[in-house]
Amino acid sequence: MPNRLTVKQIISRIKQVFPNVPESYMVALINEALVEMGKYSNTKIEYAKANSVADQMWYTLDDANSSISVNKVYRVDFMNADGDYIKIPRLLDSEIQKMDLV
Amino acid sequence: MASNYNYPEDFLAWFIKGENLAIITTKGSTDGSTHSKLGDWKAIDESVTDGILIHYESEPSSISISASGDYSSTYPDVDNALHASLIDYVKYRLYQDKAGLSPDGNIASIAMAMAQSHEGKWNESVRRYGMKKRDKTGGPRRVMPADLR
Repeated sequence: MPNRLTVKQIISRIKQVFPNVPESYMVALINEALVEMGKYSNTKIEYAKANSVADQMWYTLDDANSSISVNKVYRVDFMNADGDYIKIPRLLDSEIQKMDLV
Repeated sequence: MASNYNYPEDFLAWFIKGENLAIITTKGSTDGSTHSKLGDWKAIDESVTDGILIHYESEPSSISISASGDYSSTYPDVDNALHASLIDYVKYRLYQDKAGLSPDGNIASIAMAMAQSHEGKWNESVRRYGMKKRDKTGGPRRVMPADLR
């Protein structure tokens, strides 16, 4: 069994020093810390699939408009004719000649 | 619908602009119109269900504030090596609050010193050594030479 701390245990340790601070405020600060942790690589690695649409260049990664919360994309694969996902390269110079509106 | 790309890596590429991922291709007709021909970058030409697989670093899920105040079975959505660091972060912010609110200069300066102490521990565990603490890589390594075909 991994030695994990529940949120209750975290709050109780903080209450040793700050007994009068509301728990909801502590949870808000814990959430702030989690966002901060997410900025550093390898905290939470995930993947997602999306449909490609013919003649559509742009696919949203906006946290508010998609079901996933993306901090940094580090690899993209595309399905080949056999149904396998193959890594495609990242284009370093994104100033391509023909550009669609975002 | 399955993809018609046998070797997508030869035609497709991606890049990011702001909150958007672009998928582009060099595939095109050999006698096509200007900027639609083979070799020019343009929007992907195929609709493929689940055709794109994105690997990304995500944000840990936030903790919902419980009306009943029961957090006994709620765990932070990060590796357990980082759980104790959350205590340091919250204390660091609470000591900062205390320093800002206290009318007594001595209490404020002590609170500020404590805030700095916890901030240092937080920075050390998450920023400085965070990768080492949660990295699960171990054992011998093998160097894979680049495929120059």
